[in-house]
Amino acid sequence: MKPSRLLRAIAAAATLGTLLAASPARAELHVTVDQGNAQPLPIAIPDFASPNAADAAAGQNIAKVVRADLERSGLFRSLDPKSFIEKITNINVAPQFGSWRVINAQALVSGQVQSQPDGRLRVDFRLWDVFGESQMIGQQYFTTPDNWRRIAHIISDAIYQRITGEKGYFDTRVVFISESGPALARKKRLAVMDEDGANPIFLTHGEYLVLTPRFNPTAQMIAYMSYISAKPRVYLFDLESGHQEMLGNFPNMTFSPRFSPDGNKVALTLETAGNSDIYVMDLRTRALTRLTSDPGIDTAPSYSPDGTQITFESDRGGSQQIYVMSANGSGQHRVSFGAGRNGTPVWSPRGDLIAFTNQSGGFHIGVMHPDGSGVRIVTNGWEDEGPTWAPNGRVIMFGRTSPGGRGSQIWSIDVTGRNERRVTTPGDASDPAWSPLIQ
Amino acid sequence: MSQSLNPRRSSVTPTTARGPRVGVFGAVLLHGAIAAAALFTWQHRLDFTDESPPVVPVDLVTLADKTNIMATVQLKPKIEPKETPPPQLVAPTPVPAATPPPAAEVAPEQAPSQPVIAKPAPIPKPMPKPQPPADQKKPKTDDFSALLNKLTAPTASPRNARVAERTVKGVGAMNAMTMDLSDALKNMIAQCWNPPVGAPHPERLIPVFRLFLNPDGSVAQPPQLAADSAAAAAGDPFMRAAAEAARRAIYTCAPYKLPADKYNVWRVINFDFDPSKMVQ
Repeated sequence: MKPSRLLRAIAAAATLGTLLAASPARAELHVTVDQGNAQPLPIAIPDFASPNAADAAAGQNIAKVVRADLERSGLFRSLDPKSFIEKITNINVAPQFGSWRVINAQALVSGQVQSQPDGRLRVDFRLWDVFGESQMIGQQYFTTPDNWRRIAHIISDAIYQRITGEKGYFDTRVVFISESGPALARKKRLAVMDEDGANPIFLTHGEYLVLTPRFNPTAQMIAYMSYISAKPRVYLFDLESGHQEMLGNFPNMTFSPRFSPDGNKVALTLETAGNSDIYVMDLRTRALTRLTSDPGIDTAPSYSPDGTQITFESDRGGSQQIYVMSANGSGQHRVSFGAGRNGTPVWSPRGDLIAFTNQSGGFHIGVMHPDGSGVRIVTNGWEDEGPTWAPNGRVIMFGRTSPGGRGSQIWSIDVTGRNERRVTTPGDASDPAWSPLIQ
Repeated sequence: MSQSLNPRRSSVTPTTARGPRVGVFGAVLLHGAIAAAALFTWQHRLDFTDESPPVVPVDLVTLADKTNIMATVQLKPKIEPKETPPPQLVAPTPVPAATPPPAAEVAPEQAPSQPVIAKPAPIPKPMPKPQPPADQKKPKTDDFSALLNKLTAPTASPRNARVAERTVKGVGAMNAMTMDLSDALKNMIAQCWNPPVGAPHPERLIPVFRLFLNPDGSVAQPPQLAADSAAAAAGDPFMRAAAEAARRAIYTCAPYKLPADKYNVWRVINFDFDPSKMVQ
């Protein structure tokens, strides 16, 4: 019994072995990798070199801002400068890639700052592929010394774009409502700051309530709603000149303005006889065109990036939901059919998604395709609302209120649901609106 | 009948020697023969266990989610209540009888290769093995990946998972070994690959690389980007970024720990980096 089984086992093993040995690996091994490990890219950004000692501080500051920008995106991990082995003194010489691979850097930024005889600052940088041992991008800028911060953001954008393929969003600003004071006498001021929270400026003094600021996608201009003279109206504010004007003089309330992608029109809600409908005003002719005429509340219009369509919210179907129509008001149809109520739709500058506020239980930020498919709720706060898109359509900023009336804050999150971060603001803040890339 | 059987037994099993009729010499001879037989078989069993490890690469702890080797917990309760009574009584024979429902779904040809090992409690034991890899994966990935996983629909639903033999056709040289290598490489690279999350149309961003490895698992020469991928990367910054990310993954993961005796199989590897299942 045993020997026979043994013999059979030997025979089977021998056959198997022969088969394995005989089956030639003529076909090359083919592996489809469909799972990854989404982790920030390790990048080394040493302080920018400076031939003159006087520029050393600028070199350190620029590198610091670039590190912070890239780190904040969640797609990069800036390596600790203390771990750097090679000290880069001349960016025109290729670095010793081996010494950067040792510290697991996958990309390297070398930069240089130099004051020019005319008083301007010259900033050079190169981005290196550590594995490929080649330069990925190299650029040079001239600017006034006090503009170093913008140069740092521009460099961050260039690095971000080269490595992700996507345009950056660091050289941008955010307009928001700054809140202060007790809950019953809340002071709300219009404010603007750099995307990283630096350089906050108050645009209004807080004597009037201001709401829903919106950036012109082509210029540094804001449309917002204010209760000046106790009448809620839409105003325009030019950030460059400080000029402010009321957008049309209507007998009733106007609110929720939004610029068209070319910046020449503003879609807004006009309330007449208790019925709110969406209108569009041509900023050059000031001509007003009515787009909706439903007895329900139609509001919060937002243009598609090509300007051919508008998404808006309406309660015409019984509950607040998201609709889409042509820019001339035709073809109005509902697109949100998910749980709860859905409002404040904002079309992504990339065109592929609409961000919105979902109310079911709490308030959350969601995204979906413009046809209503692929709904994803990306935030999980207690009360998250009012999304606004980064100009590259990849990051969403929104207002978050915590339970217990502990004030409101501005947060940002990647469109994939990753990298949720609080945005630094002076005090409480709400209702953010992201600017286009500064021209 | 019973009389004719008894003497045979007495000749095979020395402990039941019946009485003085059996000679002492015969008993000693038999004892010796049995002892020799036992030694003989023991030695060869050792040989078997020694030989088996190189056949099945040991590094392949984590199996790809997509292979039908995956076992599930859900299957267990369904099968157990029906089959718990018989298996205890018919221990030797139930192997084919106990496994038919799952075995029928899988490639039937592979059943004969495992009869001996599968005998004791066939279903429960293989179950826990595939699970640890799934558990190992989670702690390694960070919150980001957890979120990504949440966003993508779980494609390999446990209900569809099948309990299969290890030998599954379909990859490379069409045998279990390349399947294991493929899974191992896939899992190695998955840890190193930072996919282009959030990029538009990820289904179009699938760079294909051809990688040449040295026998020590190090990269022999710069990985070659397939011609059509290179053409796409030249005109599309997203594709260029995707290709560069894939190349970084290949370098980051090197050197590759793969069974040295199968170098001829993994000397050249073609990688497709497909981010479409990770992000929408």
